[in-house]
Amino acid sequence: MIWYVLRRLALFIPLILGVVAVTFGIMELVPGDPAAVLLGDEASEEAVRDMRRSLGLDRPWWIRLGSYYADLAHGDMGISYFQNQPVTDAIRQRVVPTLEVAVVALLISILIGLALGVAAAFWRGTAIDATSMLFAQLGVSMPVFWFGILLMYLLAIRFDLLPSIGRGPPLAGALVEAALGRPAALLESLSHIAMPALTLGLTNAAVISRLVRSAMLETLGQDFIRTAHAKGLLNVRIIFVHALGNAMLPVVSVIGLRFGALLGGAVLTESIFGWPGLGQLAVAAISQRDLPLVQGIVLTFAVAFALVNLLVDLLYALIDPRIRLE
Amino acid sequence: MLKFVRMLISVGIAAAIAPAAFADVVRLGADVDSATMDPRIQRNTTEYRVNNLIYDGLVQLNANLQVEPGLAESWENPEPTVWIFHLRENVMFHDGSILDADDVVFTFETILDPDLKARFRSLFTPIDTIEALDANTVKITLKEPYAPLLSYLDMGIVSKDYVEGGGNIQSTPVGTGPLKLSNWERGSRISLEPFEDYWGGSPNTDGFEFVVVGDNTARAQAFEAGDLSIIQSPLSSQDIGRLVANTQFQNEILGGLGITYLNFNTQPPLLGDPALRRALAMLVDQSTIVDAIYEGVDQVATSILLPSSWAYDASIAQPGFDPEGAKDAFAAAGWTDSNGDGTLDKDGQALSIVLSTHSEDPNRIQSLEYIQAIMLENGVDASISIADWPAFSEGVRGGQHEIALLGWLNIVDPDRLMYGQFHTGGSFNWGGYSNAEVDAHLETGRSATDVGDRTAAYQAAAAIIANELPYFVIAYQGYQVFYTDDVTLDPDARGMMRSVIGN
Amino acid sequence: MKPLAVNLSLSIGGTIVIAVLLFALFGTIVSGFEPDQMNMKNRFSLPTAEHWLGTDNFGRDLWTRMAVGARVSLTIALCSVAIAVVVGTTVGLVSGYIGGAFDLLVMRIVDIFLGFPPIVLALAIVAALGPGMLNLTLSLAAIFWTEYARVVRSVTLAQREADYVTAAAALGAGSARILFREILPNVIGPVIVLATLGIGTAIIAESGLSFLGFGVEPPTPTWGWTLSYGTRYLRAEPWLSTVAGLAIMITVLGFNLFGDGLRDHLDPRGVARRIKSAPRQ
Repeated sequence: MIWYVLRRLALFIPLILGVVAVTFGIMELVPGDPAAVLLGDEASEEAVRDMRRSLGLDRPWWIRLGSYYADLAHGDMGISYFQNQPVTDAIRQRVVPTLEVAVVALLISILIGLALGVAAAFWRGTAIDATSMLFAQLGVSMPVFWFGILLMYLLAIRFDLLPSIGRGPPLAGALVEAALGRPAALLESLSHIAMPALTLGLTNAAVISRLVRSAMLETLGQDFIRTAHAKGLLNVRIIFVHALGNAMLPVVSVIGLRFGALLGGAVLTESIFGWPGLGQLAVAAISQRDLPLVQGIVLTFAVAFALVNLLVDLLYALIDPRIRLE
Repeated sequence: MLKFVRMLISVGIAAAIAPAAFADVVRLGADVDSATMDPRIQRNTTEYRVNNLIYDGLVQLNANLQVEPGLAESWENPEPTVWIFHLRENVMFHDGSILDADDVVFTFETILDPDLKARFRSLFTPIDTIEALDANTVKITLKEPYAPLLSYLDMGIVSKDYVEGGGNIQSTPVGTGPLKLSNWERGSRISLEPFEDYWGGSPNTDGFEFVVVGDNTARAQAFEAGDLSIIQSPLSSQDIGRLVANTQFQNEILGGLGITYLNFNTQPPLLGDPALRRALAMLVDQSTIVDAIYEGVDQVATSILLPSSWAYDASIAQPGFDPEGAKDAFAAAGWTDSNGDGTLDKDGQALSIVLSTHSEDPNRIQSLEYIQAIMLENGVDASISIADWPAFSEGVRGGQHEIALLGWLNIVDPDRLMYGQFHTGGSFNWGGYSNAEVDAHLETGRSATDVGDRTAAYQAAAAIIANELPYFVIAYQGYQVFYTDDVTLDPDARGMMRSVIGN
Repeated sequence: MKPLAVNLSLSIGGTIVIAVLLFALFGTIVSGFEPDQMNMKNRFSLPTAEHWLGTDNFGRDLWTRMAVGARVSLTIALCSVAIAVVVGTTVGLVSGYIGGAFDLLVMRIVDIFLGFPPIVLALAIVAALGPGMLNLTLSLAAIFWTEYARVVRSVTLAQREADYVTAAAALGAGSARILFREILPNVIGPVIVLATLGIGTAIIAESGLSFLGFGVEPPTPTWGWTLSYGTRYLRAEPWLSTVAGLAIMITVLGFNLFGDGLRDHLDPRGVARRIKSAPRQ
């Protein structure tokens, strides 16, 4: 177990080196000079040249890549060209809001996914099955930005139920407050999170519901379930203890695989709901050619993705003792 | 599922209660976040607007762009190249220290220092020296007469002691302005609170917030939902009609300080001929673009001079939309459809043109799409090239474009839209335009101190430009603001918010 | 016995897919309009006898533009998935078959690509290559191929040790023969299912990139552009975005239902799924 984790962690090193190199290569190919964008239209050629020099962009590419690796080894991701602060600070400010939405989105998608999947499997082959699967499919078939803007129109403007934009109080702090008996902050925090999380969660709900349905069907078809049924055990018990337990496996694994999509979906969702997360920052960084910031964000995404997948695999082994970690 | 519905309902109740608690804070929707609170290196419009509240300049520009006293109570101009400013006494910074002439000198000396990399440095490079004559008097000496200087001196003054003492002015600003920073949640909101010791009297507000919502449509929806109290240009023109029709909202349109224009690459071979540029310009249906795409917020432009400027002359006019006239003009320039393939040609070469713009502005893309359609109908083989701003602007700066659609903002003086753009070898003369007569007029306009002389010079230059068309100005950009009834606002085309807080 | 839902998925999905293909192929012939023919006096028209789906923000016939758009969107989706399938399958087959250090190296490369948030990678590649149909297709392929590489590799790893493969090898069959004759047929099922589902993802991704301004250049009438414009006019003229949004939704739904049905049909025991969700090395 320990060896497995260590081996997996060791693989982070080539991952980090590779992600940095690929990002670096792509950004080298992207036309557009950060120095010129930084100084604006009214800058002289000379000022742009000076700026390139002071950003270190006049050095050959291998020296820049090499020094990036060297700095990274010391935990230094450089200074953002546009945010006027270290990349680590800029990312730290944005990572919590993104995680807030991602976690709530995940909870929503598991909730909806389980409900639909269980209903579909239980009433397999009926209209309920067909309707829940169709409903789940609709979620994955809608472009996120369209759904987001429609949702905002309905819930925030038409019915005035939720605030349309922005982030409430930080979720973690609000949870502590609520635990101490003061739920106001939590409610406000959740009211802001609800729409972006729903927008983001719907796609995953569809994927999860399909997995739950087929995993349950598989279990329900197995001998021990039939035996249980014959013995007159309650249907509900069968579903929730045996079948659902079995269905949790693919759900856990899909969380890992879909985590990347979740973070990626944040790019569109955050810009619609004015959510101060990493996704919005990523788009801004690319469109301003803020090279250190692009590097830092991509690296954060990649490491987070790899970590979540490691956790998922460990969890997987925990849930199902039949699976052995190599 | 039930749990989820219940959550939604409880959340809805919370949302209904929440806004009431902050009703007295004015919330402005901003399209981007600030990246710095240091006015000397400000770049984007939000920084410009936030810093305008946190800092004061030597002068202030009022809503009509007239220069009014700011930190300088008065000034004199004993010689064309010498300006002397008399500062207000006992002006307090947010940290309690008192402003003096050294702070002013420090602010401009650091801007002029290339190491600071101030974006607006080029506006101040005609300054030769700046010195403190005493604690409350500053003398600026110019290398040559430079008439536009005064309108650029609204630049915020920073505290020398604070900056040199290691204060982080980027994120914890100290200014003399009516509001001070209380909280900055990066990417989301900038909260300002009143500075009770403001020299102009305590500001009339409980607080002012800039709330960042990148998407124009989402920002308009947030305003309608009551989450914002002011929104302003840039707006999605598609939302404007609906907002105007809503009687709950106040709304004002002003002539803006920007233009949207076509930049012709006047370098040979293709577009070097002014006659061809004129013929192409006749295919630009300005009024449809302004009415249908910009929903009438912008105005059809007639020349390089803005209607709000003292130099404006309605009689100077570029060619208007005239497809029939264009056909004759093409023929006169030698372009006809000699092989009957539907595309104009000359010397065996078809008239193919690339129209380019950037991907960030859907209205510019739509305008280009519309211009392209009319050009195609009239025998010009036009294609569209779109890239994001850094890639697009790199191409234009390098003179690699043929016809580019873009804009200029913040034209508080005609010099700012003409000298660098049309002077031979000017630093933003990306189309490579050169005309000795225009050069002479622009130099006169920059150095003359008499407004009458300046006006004559700029009008003469504008007339030549309207005829030779290095630029074809499509529209004068309008500035639009919407606000709720509880906000008092005297609109300012630069989007400044001083009137809201009564200072 | 197949459950009812499977047959329903296949038949509904199949019907939608065929309808969309017919629309793409013949939609422009019957409309009688050119896709780029503007009429600024008749913008945002609702459906009429003349304009069956109404008109867009330039008064162009929406039916015609949606039909051409179907062609463009489907071409981008099909080509990007096809490239991803070919590249991913080849990489997965070779990597799984050769194994060892080579496999380790290839899987690290796959990891690197998986580490990028998909839309950020696509965005950066389009920014690097410039907009346009070909570049958009390539950038989508770049985010899709890893999925196929992983699935095919897993199947290959499992098959390599299977009796019939060992038998073929013992009979002197060459590597290429074993790969293509013995192993490839076993991966085709899961790959086809994944590819069908991937087409829907590609159509959605195209619209997202258009919304961020990185789509195919106008006046090419892609669905993504129409929806992106339509969303900006959503409140005043909801019809435009409704047509584009529904077109995307129904098409993606069709491909997904079809893929789902296909999966249950070809692979009732969920081999592809279980391989996909197995722990990674």
